[in-house]
Amino acid sequence: MLVIVTENVPPRLRGRLAVWLVEVRAGVYVGNPSKRLRELIWEQVRDGVEAGNAVMAWTTNTESGYDFETIGANRRIPVDFDGLRLVSFLPSDSKADAP
Amino acid sequence: MLPPLKPIAMKERVSMIFVERGQIDVLDGAFVVVDDGGVRTHIPVGSVACIMLEPGTRVSHRAVALAARVGTLLVWVGEAGVRLYASGQPGGARSDRLLYQAKLALDDTARLKVVRKMYELRFGEAPPQRRSVEQLRGIEGARVRETYKNLARRYGVKWQGRKYDPTDWDASDLPNLCLSAATASLYGITEAAVLAAGYAPAVGFIHTGKPLSFVYDIADIFKFDTVVPVAFRIAAQEPPEPERKVRLACRDMFRETKLLGRIIPMIEDILAAGELEPPRQPAESIGPAFSDGENLGDAGHRY
Repeated sequence: MLVIVTENVPPRLRGRLAVWLVEVRAGVYVGNPSKRLRELIWEQVRDGVEAGNAVMAWTTNTESGYDFETIGANRRIPVDFDGLRLVSFLPSDSKADAP
Repeated sequence: MLPPLKPIAMKERVSMIFVERGQIDVLDGAFVVVDDGGVRTHIPVGSVACIMLEPGTRVSHRAVALAARVGTLLVWVGEAGVRLYASGQPGGARSDRLLYQAKLALDDTARLKVVRKMYELRFGEAPPQRRSVEQLRGIEGARVRETYKNLARRYGVKWQGRKYDPTDWDASDLPNLCLSAATASLYGITEAAVLAAGYAPAVGFIHTGKPLSFVYDIADIFKFDTVVPVAFRIAAQEPPEPERKVRLACRDMFRETKLLGRIIPMIEDILAAGELEPPRQPAESIGPAFSDGENLGDAGHRY
């Protein structure tokens, strides 16, 4: 299972993602691709994200059962709690202030 | 309106989260750590077996109440996870389980059977016949020292015996420090499981006289197959942050061995070896005046 959430990305990237995944809500893509295809998709996100930002989460065999990766500036940033990955939400005056 | 919160099964949870600093509070109903800079980090409190609160954390009343409601154990720990105090929904929320455990512990024949079962599970063979609990403990002590020595040799770690001073953490050598960090993690999740299953951590069979006697009894069964080799392996690498490394490795090991899903069935299995019937309700007792509603399951949940 794979979920990608995009914010403020160009329409061409959104169209590209819809080639492999289903857009269940605006900017939210769901699918169940292989590891190879997942990496290919993420490469395209990296190339096409421009000023926007995106996050990709997928099932793995970590203790929580999933992992995620982010790209672009966002007030939510991943943090590591001794091997468990959580998300910190920065206050609004911080530098990484983006939509 | 949202329905009331219920605890989920132990086996569906991640093992532990260590929180180092910050104010722990409830925001919009979620368990949140807020640091000095105002950065908020949500902790999925209901999906964790235990939350280890390290020095530098402050917890609000509401946060503790939320942890209790979702059946998550909060453990206040000193350096490298040495347990200071724990809370959550208190153990013994099920009188039938507590009375059963006490009945087994008070009956000499049943207690010996339980102890023999513990050794059998631990060493993979039945202990010699006609030995008292005292004699079995002696046999166990010798085997433990031997296990430490063997593991130290296998991983190439200099070993001078299990020595540690709970009041002076840094006085320990590296292998002992790694072992303490590893066993602290194991005790945390074991205590969470013991409480979740409805038993009392203090009513032990091999260990007695400590608030966590039963936790030590249960943890010892898999300690030497799981966290002890992990501790020696990390000690051999001499990493810059040994405690963190140990926790990471323990987390992987808990996942690989599916430990959280195994502890509660194992507890039931061990106690069943006592061959006593769970105590029956006296006829004159009064049942609950009102029902607390349906729960998600039976053992593996807190009530």
